[in-house]
Amino acid sequence: MFEPRIKIERPLYETLKRAAQIAGYSSVDEFIIHVLEKTAAEVEQAQSENEVRKRLQGLGYIE
Amino acid sequence: MITVVSGLPRSGTSLVMQMLAAGGYPILCDDRRPADDDNPRGYLEYARVKSLEHDASWLDQAEGKAVKIISPLLASLPAHHDYRIIFLQRDLGEVLRSQAIMLQRRGQPPGPSAEVMQAHFERHLQTVESWLSRQSHIRTLNCQFTDLMRGPLNMAAMIAQFLEGELNLTEMAAAVEPTLHRQRKRSE
Repeated sequence: MFEPRIKIERPLYETLKRAAQIAGYSSVDEFIIHVLEKTAAEVEQAQSENEVRKRLQGLGYIE
Repeated sequence: MITVVSGLPRSGTSLVMQMLAAGGYPILCDDRRPADDDNPRGYLEYARVKSLEHDASWLDQAEGKAVKIISPLLASLPAHHDYRIIFLQRDLGEVLRSQAIMLQRRGQPPGPSAEVMQAHFERHLQTVESWLSRQSHIRTLNCQFTDLMRGPLNMAAMIAQFLEGELNLTEMAAAVEPTLHRQRKRSE
């Protein structure tokens, strides 16, 4: 079974490779996966907070 | 020490406030939100809680009393007070069904689907749990709504022990009205 793959421009790849080395990751793949997971979690968290907030306003619990 | 009754809206926070009041525990509330079909026995809320994110000056009035503060506002509690939090936990399906009815009664849009909203609440509750575990000035008693409905006297005793106060357990238990548990989990 093939895993999904994404394409990125070579200059960005080189930047990420350097950043991965600086941050002590064993590979650029590991670094990118970590960054993507962290970013996705932050986006989901922000969306959840926003939706919870809207729900509370609808129910009359916050201003 | 401030006692906080917390949890998601429609998780049983008003019920625990009613129990505390019946048991003789001082509570901080006003009459700004009267009883209605969603809470026939009243909300026992304090209106200034709604603005806790911007104004916590009123918390001095809550010293030695119990006040209802829903879970998304807990992180706004200033750290210069000590708190005991009774945190209500209820099946999210029940919470969401009850909220949906309340939103409809209030003429509010229904918002995301129950499935999506459940994921948001699960994420929120994990965040709150993690935050609470890091607060040295807060002690927490987790209170399962189903345990409360099935054994109100036991729960009253547990709450009284947590609050280290002499409360009227019989009156506290009598405040629990099983017929008001209207959004039961499908399997019950």
